[in-house]
Amino acid sequence: MKFALEARQLKKQYQDKLALKGLDLQIEPGEIFCLLGQNGAGKSTTINLFLGFIRPTSGAAYINGLEVAANPIKVKEYLAYIPENVMLYPNLTGLENLALFSNLASFDYSQEELMTYLVQAGLPGEAAKRKVGAYSKGMRQKVGIAIAVAKHAKVLLLDEPTSGLDPKASNEFSELLLQLSANGTAIFMATHDIFRAKEVGTRVGIMREGELVDLLGTTELNANELEKLYLNYMHA
Amino acid sequence: MKPFWILIKYEWLNFRAYRGLVILSTLALVAGLYGIYYGTTEVERQRENIAGLEVLTQHNVAEMKTKYPSEADAGDIGYYHSTFAVHHPDSWASLSLGQRDVNPYYIKLRLLNLQSQLYDSENINPLKVLSGNFDLAFVLVYLFPLLIIGLCFNILSIEKEQGTLPLLLSQPISLPLIVGAKLTFRMMVVLGMALLLSIVAMVWGAVVPDARIALWLGVVVLYCVFWFGMAFLVAALQKNSAFNAVTLLGVWLLLTIIIPALLNVYVSIRQPVPQALALTIKQREVVHGGWDKPKRETMEAFFVRYPQYRDTAEIQGRFAWKWYYAFHLLGDIAVEDLAKEYQSSLQARHDLVQNLNVLSVPVNVQGIFNAMAGSDLPSYLQFLQSATHYHDTLREFYYPFLFKQVGFTHADYAREPRHSFTSTSDMPSAKNGLVKLLLSVLVVFAAGLLLFRWKEASVK
Repeated sequence: MKFALEARQLKKQYQDKLALKGLDLQIEPGEIFCLLGQNGAGKSTTINLFLGFIRPTSGAAYINGLEVAANPIKVKEYLAYIPENVMLYPNLTGLENLALFSNLASFDYSQEELMTYLVQAGLPGEAAKRKVGAYSKGMRQKVGIAIAVAKHAKVLLLDEPTSGLDPKASNEFSELLLQLSANGTAIFMATHDIFRAKEVGTRVGIMREGELVDLLGTTELNANELEKLYLNYMHA
Repeated sequence: MKPFWILIKYEWLNFRAYRGLVILSTLALVAGLYGIYYGTTEVERQRENIAGLEVLTQHNVAEMKTKYPSEADAGDIGYYHSTFAVHHPDSWASLSLGQRDVNPYYIKLRLLNLQSQLYDSENINPLKVLSGNFDLAFVLVYLFPLLIIGLCFNILSIEKEQGTLPLLLSQPISLPLIVGAKLTFRMMVVLGMALLLSIVAMVWGAVVPDARIALWLGVVVLYCVFWFGMAFLVAALQKNSAFNAVTLLGVWLLLTIIIPALLNVYVSIRQPVPQALALTIKQREVVHGGWDKPKRETMEAFFVRYPQYRDTAEIQGRFAWKWYYAFHLLGDIAVEDLAKEYQSSLQARHDLVQNLNVLSVPVNVQGIFNAMAGSDLPSYLQFLQSATHYHDTLREFYYPFLFKQVGFTHADYAREPRHSFTSTSDMPSAKNGLVKLLLSVLVVFAAGLLLFRWKEASVK
């Protein structure tokens, strides 16, 4: 079977530190996989390896069946990415930023379509025409969400995507993820937010010191049990 | 639209929005226009001065005719009448004035000894010379690199520092494509300006349209590309913007100021040039000594050079113009070797700089521009040789009057030889410099590409 995302014995060594210790993982289309872990646990390293930003020391990452290291450009046609801090071109408007990234992904939307994506992501229409330099972190995050959604990617890589969003916007974002998942998008989300992971995830992985120490379905336990389990791993 | 052109389109939007970049580019454009104005004005001033020399000569002839209303002794005319050796600027000189401000472009000549007159130039304000020429070549060679540095120092680092690189690289595009597109956009801006300024200067300066147009434009493009290559090389180190800015400014300082200064010191030590003053003093001693020497001895020495006058009448009395001019000629002969050594030393020094200019691309490019415009040292040396030859023809014009005792009539003024020298371009030197420039461009880009491949790209 062709997985949307797959890691095979994926390792990353930074000089004297083994940041990722042979990760094996398969994520199917339509699945929302949440990766929990403390800072430095290896979550971002995993995402960076899937994005091809860094080269694996050994093993391989696959997107839609293609090895990332061997097809660094092609795999990006299948994925979208929302970083923890979405940073945009401050001298361009929200609309222009979205148009730029959509154009680069080979989508040529009309102004109305671009506006629809931004409003759908929660950005007020009048703000979309203002320069991004005056945006709050939450507003930039919403443009980042619009960029990802407008790409119609098969795989969505999220690194703390709700950082900076207010509770209402976070909730809307969760609904959006569920909607994308229902349409077959595989979602990989690195987060500290146990409750959000439990709410939207189909599976949750717990990572500690570069190792995936547990992997469980979100139906197997409730949010409090997941939190306890997580804390146990962190204090182990 | 291809990603490359999409990036270029948005680079334009970004560029337009950054007021600082627009101001910087406008300043460079204004500096270029001023450079063109300065160059054409200076060449026009020199042309007017040269045209004024002809008026001065005519005025002098009129005075002589008043002073000597009938047939005169040619010795008197040779002593009091002056004419000029003139170095006309090439039409390209307005783009690159080179050494036309430090080396005299006309020499006032009389029939007296030549060497002291060759180096007897008018006083110039050393402070004005120190500040140099603000011509187009100066703007392109020294200021345009600063514009390129200003536009390119953060070509990659800004994407990291403002955090846009991860989002950009999550699109199906590569880092080299991003850097390439950004570099191309900036090249389009800078080369557009540099070529526009060059064309304006060519039209304004009414240059002779020949192969030099293509050569000039080619050199301008390659030189700008060299500095883009330097920015590309520094960007490949993948350091922050402050590091890049300091490094690029350091390279600019090194190539435009420090290396040229060190080259100057090295060349002065390695290839010393005897002072023209020493030559002049020695000549004066010989000429003044001529008064005390027996006339026969002087004339015998003279007849060795001009045997055709040996059979002319012997000198009678205490003074004769032909004897006077003979010991002036002997003064020139006495320092002939020194004069040759002086000029060949200057040429050797120039050749040494030509060999060493591979160490500094700006020095090489300035040399190419000067060679093309005929405003370099070899052009000046050719002018000195031309003036020397002209003085010889003056002697050959006057000696028959003196030695065959023919009276100098008013009609003879019109028969007096006139001098005109227009410097020509030194295309072999310019082409040689072009090859070196091309190699420099290839080296910086190859180094940049290797560094990009060798260093793992980091998005933060």
